[in-house]
Amino acid sequence: MKSTAWGIVLAVIVALLAALPWIGNTVLVQFGINVLLLATLAQGWNIIGGYTGYPSFGNSVFYGLGAYGVAIAMVQYHLPFWVGMLLGLGLGVVFAGLLGLAVLRLKGHYFAICTLGLALVMTAIVSNLEIAGSNIGLVLPLLRSEVLFYELALGLLVLATLTIFWLSRSRFGLGLIAIRENEEGAAVMGVNTTLYKVLAFMLSAAFTALAGGIYAYYITFIDPVGVFDIGLNVKMIIMAVFGGPGSVLGPVAGAFILSAISEVLATKVTSIASMFFGIVIVIAVMFMPRGIAHLVQHIRQMGWRYFIDNVRTHRL
Amino acid sequence: MELLFQVLVSGLLLGGLYALMALGLALVWGVLNIVNLSHGALIMLGAYVTYFLVTGAYIDPFAALPIAAAVLFAIGYLIQRGVLNLVIRGPMFNTLLITFGIEVVLTYLTQLWFSADFRTINPGYAGSNYTVGGITIPYVQVLVFVIAIGLTVAMWLLLLHTRTGRGIRAAAQNLVAARLYGVSPKSVYALTFGLGAALAGVAGGLYGTVSQINPYIGGPLTAKSFVIAIIGGLDNPLWVIVGGLFLGIIESLTALYIGSTYRDVASFGILVLILIVRPSGLLGRTT
Repeated sequence: MKSTAWGIVLAVIVALLAALPWIGNTVLVQFGINVLLLATLAQGWNIIGGYTGYPSFGNSVFYGLGAYGVAIAMVQYHLPFWVGMLLGLGLGVVFAGLLGLAVLRLKGHYFAICTLGLALVMTAIVSNLEIAGSNIGLVLPLLRSEVLFYELALGLLVLATLTIFWLSRSRFGLGLIAIRENEEGAAVMGVNTTLYKVLAFMLSAAFTALAGGIYAYYITFIDPVGVFDIGLNVKMIIMAVFGGPGSVLGPVAGAFILSAISEVLATKVTSIASMFFGIVIVIAVMFMPRGIAHLVQHIRQMGWRYFIDNVRTHRL
Repeated sequence: MELLFQVLVSGLLLGGLYALMALGLALVWGVLNIVNLSHGALIMLGAYVTYFLVTGAYIDPFAALPIAAAVLFAIGYLIQRGVLNLVIRGPMFNTLLITFGIEVVLTYLTQLWFSADFRTINPGYAGSNYTVGGITIPYVQVLVFVIAIGLTVAMWLLLLHTRTGRGIRAAAQNLVAARLYGVSPKSVYALTFGLGAALAGVAGGLYGTVSQINPYIGGPLTAKSFVIAIIGGLDNPLWVIVGGLFLGIIESLTALYIGSTYRDVASFGILVLILIVRPSGLLGRTT
């Protein structure tokens, strides 16, 4: 009964979001596209970082590949947008599969830095590819239809969230959680850990690449520095962590709240806006390391002690 | 052939500086089990401190290094005491993430105060060099190399032979036992992180004399330091020197034979390769 009520509330929220272009103005829709894409990235990270426990600092690579898939298909081969999306999706997923086989054997620090290193070199590699427009970038055909991009982004986010909902109660998802909690234990219990991890990485890459593809056509100009942006990793990770890694709706809530605050800051005090995410990371890790999803469950009984308790359990 | 030797010499000289950069990261990692993603940002801060001492107070850059070290030691000590000590027993990902947050804050504070302009520290003798058998060796780079290697060796001696060094090594091996013998974890941890930051500060000052600086140099420098720490391991600063020299030479050779835009690709390619083949490090232990 309770879950039905939740389902109805969420359906109403999605319907309201879908109707936003007809209620709000252009500025709101443009802001909406950015937020929805960021929320999708946070959900993509949630699959590998939140559920599987492998903190990827290199998901921006898949975003860039998705964007370049669309750009190369449309500019170099004059193919329609959806073919570009498929190309970007293919590039991202195949790359994640190959890469995953290699780097998912690493744990903890090693995995994190290895993916970070990869994100750092991707700009250099793509800048040297002629088909990707070298370091100048590619200009895509202009399509003036913000409503279309908005609805596409919303659809993708809903798809990502439904996938994660499925993860949270399927055998596959439980296998991933088992890997996060105790990888050796999971292997002993019969989870094919390598296969599960690589599949999770590919799934994560799929949503990230699709978001990149939508972004490329929406923004109509991409260059290596812009789409393989390291700062994007910061955003998606902090949105997922702030919201609650390993929860179904936490990352979406994190993305909405943090984007709204950063947007307000950007209009009032531009210089502090870019620093904002760094400050949020420091404060969130200190006082609420398990995110909003965990916070709302416990704040009612514990009140302010919740924050103090978090520091007390982790301090030296 | 002469070109090859020239490139090898430049790579070697650069490698000494790389070793010093990596040393602070390896020290903090080995003792505190924190991979400090803000290490590169601390190097960047050290470069800026040196830059403003040189341009503002007209001090020789090499004389400004102790001041940069002291400033960065204080910053590092405060970061550990005020922030990192509060989360250090949490999951590894939390400490990693929080240093990432500190990196972002430091980078944008620097950009806010000093703008994003490229700057260089140019002492008056920047152009002078030795010529040995047709190979040009810039005077500044030799000085940078000597200071970097000297400090790395000094750090090694400090860890081996002083009371503080023994305390740090004890805390790294077994914190509970160290505590029983009178080592105060809070201050030893803060001291270690401060030392790591001070090393980053000197490395940054030296980096500024041989290369351009801006607020965003931190990220790649952190990653390079990590590559060297992986090659050299965390036990012994002398292996870190080997790691630094190795990376310096590899980068120079890549720039010569493949192209200078592939420099970073080569060093991170090595990182990925080493991690896949031997995750425990190439020369020493990293776990």
